[in-house]
Amino acid sequence: MSEIVGVVGITHNPLMWSALDDPMSTDLDGVTANTSRLREWVSGLAPDVVVVIASDHLHMLVTSNMPAFMIGKASRMRAIHPNETRSFGLQPTELSGDHDLAAHLLGGRGMAPGFDFAFSDEPWLDHSFMVPLLLLRPELDLPMVPVFTNANSPPIPNARRFAQLGSHLRAAIQTATDRRRVLVVGSGHLAHELGGPRQFLATSPDPRFDEEAVSWMANGDLESAIAGSDFDRLTAAGNETYQFLNFITCMALAGGNPATFAEGTPTRFGNLPFFAWEDL
Amino acid sequence: MLNKVMWEVDRTDEALAAFKADTPAFLNAWEESWRRPVPPYPVGGSLTSRERVALETRDFGTLYAMGTNPFLLWQFARSVSVPGSMSIEQLVISFREAVLPHGYPDFFT
Repeated sequence: MSEIVGVVGITHNPLMWSALDDPMSTDLDGVTANTSRLREWVSGLAPDVVVVIASDHLHMLVTSNMPAFMIGKASRMRAIHPNETRSFGLQPTELSGDHDLAAHLLGGRGMAPGFDFAFSDEPWLDHSFMVPLLLLRPELDLPMVPVFTNANSPPIPNARRFAQLGSHLRAAIQTATDRRRVLVVGSGHLAHELGGPRQFLATSPDPRFDEEAVSWMANGDLESAIAGSDFDRLTAAGNETYQFLNFITCMALAGGNPATFAEGTPTRFGNLPFFAWEDL
Repeated sequence: MLNKVMWEVDRTDEALAAFKADTPAFLNAWEESWRRPVPPYPVGGSLTSRERVALETRDFGTLYAMGTNPFLLWQFARSVSVPGSMSIEQLVISFREAVLPHGYPDFFT
Protein backbone atom coordinates (compact mmCIF):
# COMPACT_ATOMS: atom_id res chain seq x y z
CA MET A 1 0.00 0.00 0.00
CA SER A 2 1.12 3.54 -0.65
CA GLU A 3 1.66 6.02 2.16
CA ILE A 4 1.08 9.75 2.36
CA VAL A 5 4.29 10.93 3.99
CA GLY A 6 3.65 14.66 4.05
CA VAL A 7 1.25 17.39 2.90
CA VAL A 8 2.37 20.91 2.11
CA GLY A 9 0.37 24.00 1.18
CA ILE A 10 2.45 26.74 -0.37
CA THR A 11 2.42 29.90 -2.47
CA HIS A 12 3.03 29.86 -6.20
CA ASN A 13 3.37 33.62 -6.68
CA PRO A 14 5.67 33.88 -9.72
CA LEU A 15 6.60 37.50 -9.07
CA MET A 16 7.78 36.52 -5.61
CA TRP A 17 9.73 33.63 -7.13
CA SER A 18 11.48 35.89 -9.60
CA ALA A 19 12.32 38.36 -6.80
CA LEU A 20 13.89 35.76 -4.51
CA ASP A 21 17.35 36.16 -6.03
CA ASP A 22 17.30 39.94 -5.58
CA PRO A 23 19.55 40.79 -2.61
CA MET A 24 17.40 43.88 -1.96
CA SER A 25 14.31 41.75 -1.34
CA THR A 26 14.63 41.82 2.43
CA ASP A 27 10.83 41.54 2.75
CA LEU A 28 11.25 37.98 1.46
CA ASP A 29 13.50 36.80 4.30
CA GLY A 30 10.54 35.03 5.89
CA VAL A 31 9.73 33.33 2.60
CA THR A 32 13.32 32.16 2.25
CA ALA A 33 13.34 30.81 5.79
CA ASN A 34 10.04 28.98 5.43
CA THR A 35 11.00 27.58 2.05
CA SER A 36 14.31 26.28 3.42
CA ARG A 37 12.56 24.74 6.39
CA LEU A 38 9.96 22.99 4.24
CA ARG A 39 12.50 21.93 1.62
CA GLU A 40 14.62 20.27 4.27
CA TRP A 41 11.59 18.58 5.78
CA VAL A 42 10.45 17.31 2.39
CA SER A 43 13.90 15.94 1.64
CA GLY A 44 13.89 14.04 4.92
CA LEU A 45 10.56 12.42 4.08
CA ALA A 46 12.26 10.63 1.16
CA PRO A 47 9.20 10.75 -1.08
CA ASP A 48 9.28 8.89 -4.37
CA VAL A 49 6.35 10.65 -6.02
CA VAL A 50 4.64 14.01 -5.62
CA VAL A 51 0.96 14.82 -6.22
CA VAL A 52 0.48 18.52 -6.89
CA ILE A 53 -2.95 20.13 -6.52
CA ALA A 54 -3.03 23.43 -8.38
CA SER A 55 -5.15 25.67 -10.56
CA ASP A 56 -4.06 26.30 -14.13
CA HIS A 57 -4.19 30.06 -14.72
CA LEU A 58 -5.98 29.92 -18.06
CA HIS A 59 -2.85 28.69 -19.78
CA MET A 60 -3.73 25.14 -20.75
CA LEU A 61 -7.41 25.26 -19.84
CA VAL A 62 -9.64 28.06 -21.08
CA THR A 63 -13.35 28.54 -21.34
CA SER A 64 -13.65 26.49 -24.55
CA ASN A 65 -13.21 23.49 -22.25
CA MET A 66 -13.03 24.02 -18.50
CA PRO A 67 -13.11 20.95 -16.25
CA ALA A 68 -13.83 21.41 -12.57
CA PHE A 69 -11.25 18.78 -11.61
CA MET A 70 -8.77 17.05 -13.89
CA ILE A 71 -5.85 14.66 -13.46
CA GLY A 72 -2.83 14.67 -15.73
CA LYS A 73 -2.06 11.10 -16.73
CA ALA A 74 1.26 11.05 -18.56
CA SER A 75 4.77 9.70 -18.21
CA ARG A 76 6.28 12.92 -19.55
CA MET A 77 4.80 16.40 -19.44
CA ARG A 78 5.72 19.90 -20.50
CA ALA A 79 5.94 22.72 -18.04
CA ILE A 80 5.90 26.51 -18.37
CA HIS A 81 4.13 28.36 -21.16
CA PRO A 82 5.84 30.96 -23.36
CA ASN A 83 4.10 33.94 -21.76
CA GLU A 84 5.36 32.80 -18.34
CA THR A 85 8.93 32.84 -19.61
CA ARG A 86 8.30 36.30 -21.03
CA SER A 87 6.66 37.64 -17.86
CA PHE A 88 8.41 35.85 -15.02
CA GLY A 89 11.62 34.37 -16.38
CA LEU A 90 10.47 30.83 -15.69
CA GLN A 91 12.19 28.43 -18.05
CA PRO A 92 10.37 25.72 -20.00
CA THR A 93 11.16 22.20 -18.92
CA GLU A 94 9.87 18.64 -19.00
CA LEU A 95 8.92 16.51 -16.01
CA SER A 96 8.41 12.82 -15.54
CA GLY A 97 4.96 11.71 -14.49
CA ASP A 98 3.64 8.72 -12.56
CA HIS A 99 1.16 7.38 -15.09
CA ASP A 100 0.13 4.41 -12.98
CA LEU A 101 -0.65 6.43 -9.88
CA ALA A 102 -2.54 8.96 -11.98
CA ALA A 103 -4.59 6.16 -13.52
CA HIS A 104 -5.32 4.78 -10.07
CA LEU A 105 -6.45 8.19 -8.76
CA LEU A 106 -8.78 8.45 -11.73
CA GLY A 107 -10.36 5.20 -10.65
CA GLY A 108 -8.99 2.88 -13.32
CA ARG A 109 -10.78 2.00 -16.51
CA GLY A 110 -14.20 2.07 -14.93
CA MET A 111 -14.16 5.28 -12.97
CA ALA A 112 -14.48 4.73 -9.24
CA PRO A 113 -17.60 6.04 -7.49
CA GLY A 114 -17.43 9.38 -5.80
CA PHE A 115 -15.46 11.57 -8.15
CA ASP A 116 -15.74 12.03 -11.90
CA PHE A 117 -12.45 13.58 -12.97
CA ALA A 118 -11.60 14.81 -16.40
CA PHE A 119 -8.20 13.67 -17.55
CA SER A 120 -5.42 14.78 -19.85
CA ASP A 121 -2.75 12.62 -21.43
CA GLU A 122 -0.88 15.80 -22.45
CA PRO A 123 -0.87 18.07 -19.42
CA TRP A 124 1.12 21.27 -19.87
CA LEU A 125 1.85 22.68 -16.43
CA ASP A 126 2.01 26.36 -15.61
CA HIS A 127 3.62 28.26 -12.74
CA SER A 128 0.91 27.22 -10.30
CA PHE A 129 2.42 23.72 -10.42
CA MET A 130 6.03 24.65 -11.04
CA VAL A 131 6.77 27.38 -8.51
CA PRO A 132 5.87 25.10 -5.55
CA LEU A 133 8.08 22.36 -7.00
CA LEU A 134 10.93 24.78 -7.62
CA LEU A 135 10.65 25.99 -4.04
CA LEU A 136 10.34 22.57 -2.40
CA ARG A 137 12.26 20.28 -4.73
CA PRO A 138 14.34 22.35 -7.14
CA GLU A 139 16.02 19.20 -8.47
CA LEU A 140 12.66 18.33 -10.10
CA ASP A 141 13.67 14.70 -9.74
CA LEU A 142 10.39 13.22 -8.51
CA PRO A 143 7.75 11.81 -10.84
CA MET A 144 4.57 13.77 -10.33
CA VAL A 145 0.84 13.60 -10.77
CA PRO A 146 -0.86 16.95 -11.44
CA VAL A 147 -4.39 17.44 -10.12
CA PHE A 148 -5.96 20.46 -11.79
CA THR A 149 -8.72 22.36 -9.99
CA ASN A 150 -10.70 25.19 -11.50
CA ALA A 151 -10.26 28.11 -9.12
CA ASN A 152 -9.92 30.84 -11.72
CA SER A 153 -12.95 30.83 -13.96
CA PRO A 154 -16.45 30.79 -12.43
CA PRO A 155 -18.43 28.68 -11.91
CA ILE A 156 -15.95 27.36 -9.36
CA PRO A 157 -16.70 24.23 -7.33
CA ASN A 158 -17.72 25.06 -3.78
CA ALA A 159 -15.51 24.65 -0.73
CA ARG A 160 -17.15 21.43 0.42
CA ARG A 161 -16.42 19.89 -2.94
CA PHE A 162 -12.75 20.82 -2.55
CA ALA A 163 -12.79 19.09 0.85
CA GLN A 164 -14.40 16.02 -0.71
CA LEU A 165 -11.64 16.06 -3.31
CA GLY A 166 -9.08 15.85 -0.50
CA SER A 167 -10.85 12.97 1.19
CA HIS A 168 -11.19 11.14 -2.11
CA LEU A 169 -7.50 11.56 -2.96
CA ARG A 170 -6.47 10.46 0.54
CA ALA A 171 -8.40 7.20 0.22
CA ALA A 172 -7.26 6.65 -3.35
CA ILE A 173 -3.57 7.17 -2.54
CA GLN A 174 -3.75 4.89 0.47
CA THR A 175 -5.29 2.09 -1.59
CA ALA A 176 -2.72 2.26 -4.38
CA THR A 177 -1.16 -1.17 -4.43
CA ASP A 178 2.40 -0.17 -5.26
CA ARG A 179 4.45 0.87 -2.25
CA ARG A 180 4.97 4.54 -2.81
CA ARG A 181 5.92 7.31 -0.43
CA VAL A 182 3.64 10.10 -1.63
CA LEU A 183 4.21 13.77 -0.96
CA VAL A 184 1.20 15.99 -1.60
CA VAL A 185 1.64 19.67 -2.42
CA GLY A 186 -1.24 22.12 -2.58
CA SER A 187 -0.65 25.38 -4.42
CA GLY A 188 -2.60 28.56 -3.77
CA HIS A 189 -3.10 31.91 -2.15
CA LEU A 190 -4.43 33.57 0.92
CA ALA A 191 -6.29 36.82 0.13
CA HIS A 192 -5.02 37.84 -3.29
CA GLU A 193 -6.04 40.15 -6.07
CA LEU A 194 -4.87 40.40 -9.65
CA GLY A 195 -6.41 42.51 -12.38
CA GLY A 196 -8.58 44.41 -9.92
CA PRO A 197 -8.42 47.69 -8.00
CA ARG A 198 -6.51 46.17 -5.06
CA GLN A 199 -3.63 44.53 -6.93
CA PHE A 200 -0.04 45.39 -6.03
CA LEU A 201 -0.88 47.38 -2.92
CA ALA A 202 2.20 45.91 -1.17
CA THR A 203 -0.05 44.40 1.48
CA SER A 204 -2.83 41.87 1.77
CA PRO A 205 -6.20 42.93 0.29
CA ASP A 206 -7.89 41.32 3.31
CA PRO A 207 -5.70 40.69 6.40
CA ARG A 208 -8.71 39.52 8.40
CA PHE A 209 -9.37 36.71 5.95
CA ASP A 210 -5.70 35.72 6.07
CA GLU A 211 -5.76 35.58 9.86
CA GLU A 212 -8.87 33.42 9.89
CA ALA A 213 -7.57 31.18 7.13
CA VAL A 214 -4.28 30.48 8.91
CA SER A 215 -6.14 29.71 12.13
CA TRP A 216 -8.43 27.24 10.33
CA MET A 217 -5.39 25.36 9.11
CA ALA A 218 -3.53 25.55 12.44
CA ASN A 219 -6.59 24.28 14.32
CA GLY A 220 -7.69 21.65 11.81
CA ASP A 221 -11.03 23.41 11.66
CA LEU A 222 -12.28 22.07 8.35
CA GLU A 223 -15.93 23.00 8.86
CA SER A 224 -15.10 26.63 9.64
CA ALA A 225 -12.80 26.74 6.62
CA ILE A 226 -15.62 25.49 4.42
CA ALA A 227 -18.16 27.87 5.97
CA GLY A 228 -15.80 30.81 5.65
CA SER A 229 -14.85 30.16 2.04
CA ASP A 230 -18.03 30.57 0.07
CA PHE A 231 -17.74 32.29 -3.30
CA ASP A 232 -18.85 35.72 -2.12
CA ARG A 233 -16.49 35.75 0.88
CA LEU A 234 -13.54 34.70 -1.26
CA THR A 235 -14.41 37.35 -3.85
CA ALA A 236 -14.55 39.99 -1.12
CA ALA A 237 -11.09 38.90 0.04
CA GLY A 238 -9.69 39.45 -3.46
CA ASN A 239 -10.56 38.30 -6.94
CA GLU A 240 -7.86 35.60 -6.98
CA THR A 241 -8.54 34.23 -3.50
CA TYR A 242 -10.41 31.21 -4.85
CA GLN A 243 -7.15 29.29 -4.96
CA PHE A 244 -7.24 29.15 -1.16
CA LEU A 245 -9.67 26.28 -1.80
CA ASN A 246 -6.70 24.07 -2.70
CA PHE A 247 -5.59 24.31 0.93
CA ILE A 248 -9.00 23.06 2.05
CA THR A 249 -8.29 20.05 -0.16
CA CYS A 250 -4.93 19.69 1.59
CA MET A 251 -6.45 19.77 5.06
CA ALA A 252 -9.05 17.14 4.13
CA LEU A 253 -6.34 15.06 2.47
CA ALA A 254 -4.39 15.27 5.74
CA GLY A 255 -7.35 13.70 7.50
CA GLY A 256 -8.65 17.03 8.79
CA ASN A 257 -5.73 17.24 11.19
CA PRO A 258 -4.27 20.54 12.38
CA ALA A 259 -1.35 21.75 10.34
CA THR A 260 1.90 21.39 12.24
CA PHE A 261 3.14 24.55 10.58
CA ALA A 262 0.83 27.35 9.45
CA GLU A 263 1.83 30.87 8.56
CA GLY A 264 0.80 33.75 6.36
CA THR A 265 4.19 35.33 5.77
CA PRO A 266 3.99 39.09 5.16
CA THR A 267 5.68 40.36 1.99
CA ARG A 268 5.18 43.13 -0.55
CA PHE A 269 3.08 40.56 -2.45
CA GLY A 270 0.67 40.16 0.44
CA ASN A 271 0.63 37.42 3.05
CA LEU A 272 2.02 34.28 1.44
CA PRO A 273 0.82 30.88 2.66
CA PHE A 274 3.01 28.18 4.16
CA PHE A 275 1.33 25.10 5.62
CA ALA A 276 2.61 21.66 6.49
CA TRP A 277 0.92 18.57 7.87
CA GLU A 278 3.15 16.01 9.53
CA ASP A 279 0.43 14.18 11.48
CA LEU A 280 -1.42 12.22 8.88
CA MET B 1 -14.95 36.22 -26.94
CA LEU B 2 -12.90 38.93 -25.22
CA ASN B 3 -11.28 36.37 -22.94
CA LYS B 4 -10.47 34.24 -25.93
CA VAL B 5 -8.84 36.97 -27.97
CA MET B 6 -6.76 38.14 -25.01
CA TRP B 7 -5.68 34.55 -24.40
CA GLU B 8 -4.74 34.03 -28.03
CA VAL B 9 -2.77 37.29 -28.17
CA ASP B 10 -0.75 36.43 -25.08
CA ARG B 11 -0.29 32.75 -25.83
CA THR B 12 2.72 33.02 -28.17
CA ASP B 13 5.39 35.60 -28.85
CA GLU B 14 4.42 35.58 -32.53
CA ALA B 15 0.76 36.43 -31.85
CA LEU B 16 1.73 39.15 -29.38
CA ALA B 17 4.13 40.74 -31.88
CA ALA B 18 1.48 40.67 -34.59
CA PHE B 19 -1.13 42.25 -32.31
CA LYS B 20 1.25 45.01 -31.23
CA ALA B 21 2.45 45.71 -34.77
CA ASP B 22 -0.97 46.10 -36.36
CA THR B 23 -3.93 45.51 -34.07
CA PRO B 24 -6.71 46.05 -36.66
CA ALA B 25 -5.03 43.62 -39.05
CA PHE B 26 -4.61 41.08 -36.26
CA LEU B 27 -8.27 41.35 -35.30
CA ASN B 28 -9.37 41.10 -38.92
CA ALA B 29 -7.41 37.88 -39.32
CA TRP B 30 -8.69 36.62 -35.97
CA GLU B 31 -12.31 37.13 -37.03
CA GLU B 32 -11.63 35.58 -40.42
CA SER B 33 -10.25 32.47 -38.70
CA TRP B 34 -13.58 32.08 -36.94
CA ARG B 35 -15.31 31.83 -40.32
CA ARG B 36 -13.00 28.95 -41.34
CA PRO B 37 -13.12 26.75 -38.23
CA VAL B 38 -10.69 23.91 -37.80
CA PRO B 39 -12.10 21.31 -35.42
CA PRO B 40 -12.24 20.67 -32.59
CA TYR B 41 -11.24 24.03 -31.09
CA PRO B 42 -11.50 26.81 -33.66
CA VAL B 43 -9.24 29.77 -33.22
CA GLY B 44 -10.62 33.22 -33.73
CA GLY B 45 -13.99 34.65 -32.88
CA SER B 46 -16.28 37.58 -33.43
CA LEU B 47 -16.30 40.90 -31.63
CA THR B 48 -18.81 43.69 -31.21
CA SER B 49 -17.71 47.10 -32.41
CA ARG B 50 -17.41 48.26 -28.78
CA GLU B 51 -15.21 45.31 -27.89
CA ARG B 52 -13.05 45.91 -30.93
CA VAL B 53 -12.53 49.57 -30.11
CA ALA B 54 -11.62 48.72 -26.53
CA LEU B 55 -8.97 46.29 -27.73
CA GLU B 56 -7.59 48.64 -30.35
CA THR B 57 -7.33 51.56 -27.92
CA ARG B 58 -6.01 49.44 -25.02
CA ASP B 59 -8.98 50.65 -22.96
CA PHE B 60 -8.40 48.34 -19.99
CA GLY B 61 -11.11 49.98 -17.88
CA THR B 62 -13.80 49.23 -20.45
CA LEU B 63 -12.51 45.71 -20.98
CA TYR B 64 -12.66 45.20 -17.20
CA ALA B 65 -16.18 46.65 -16.97
CA MET B 66 -17.29 44.26 -19.72
CA GLY B 67 -16.58 41.33 -17.39
CA THR B 68 -13.33 39.98 -18.75
CA ASN B 69 -11.45 37.58 -16.51
CA PRO B 70 -9.26 39.83 -14.31
CA PHE B 71 -6.26 37.51 -14.46
CA LEU B 72 -6.38 37.29 -18.25
CA LEU B 73 -6.92 41.03 -18.53
CA TRP B 74 -3.90 41.86 -16.39
CA GLN B 75 -1.68 39.43 -18.29
CA PHE B 76 -2.91 40.90 -21.57
CA ALA B 77 -2.40 44.48 -20.35
CA ARG B 78 1.11 43.72 -19.22
CA SER B 79 2.07 41.90 -22.40
CA VAL B 80 0.77 44.55 -24.81
CA SER B 81 2.06 47.51 -22.76
CA VAL B 82 5.41 46.53 -21.24
CA PRO B 83 7.97 47.14 -22.53
CA GLY B 84 7.17 49.66 -25.19
CA SER B 85 4.21 51.79 -24.20
CA MET B 86 5.14 52.24 -20.56
CA SER B 87 7.06 50.82 -17.61
CA ILE B 88 5.52 48.19 -15.34
CA GLU B 89 5.29 50.80 -12.57
CA GLN B 90 3.36 53.16 -14.85
CA LEU B 91 1.08 50.35 -15.96
CA VAL B 92 0.25 49.35 -12.37
CA ILE B 93 -0.86 52.91 -11.64
CA SER B 94 -2.76 53.55 -14.87
CA PHE B 95 -4.42 50.13 -14.74
CA ARG B 96 -5.66 50.74 -11.20
CA GLU B 97 -7.05 54.12 -12.20
CA ALA B 98 -8.81 52.50 -15.15
CA VAL B 99 -10.52 49.68 -13.26
CA LEU B 100 -11.20 51.41 -9.93
CA PRO B 101 -14.45 53.14 -11.01
CA HIS B 102 -15.94 49.81 -12.05
CA GLY B 103 -15.69 47.96 -8.75
CA TYR B 104 -15.99 44.21 -9.19
CA PRO B 105 -17.90 43.27 -12.35
CA ASP B 106 -19.23 39.72 -12.58
CA PHE B 107 -16.80 37.74 -14.75
CA PHE B 108 -18.97 34.64 -14.99
CA THR B 109 -18.96 33.55 -18.63
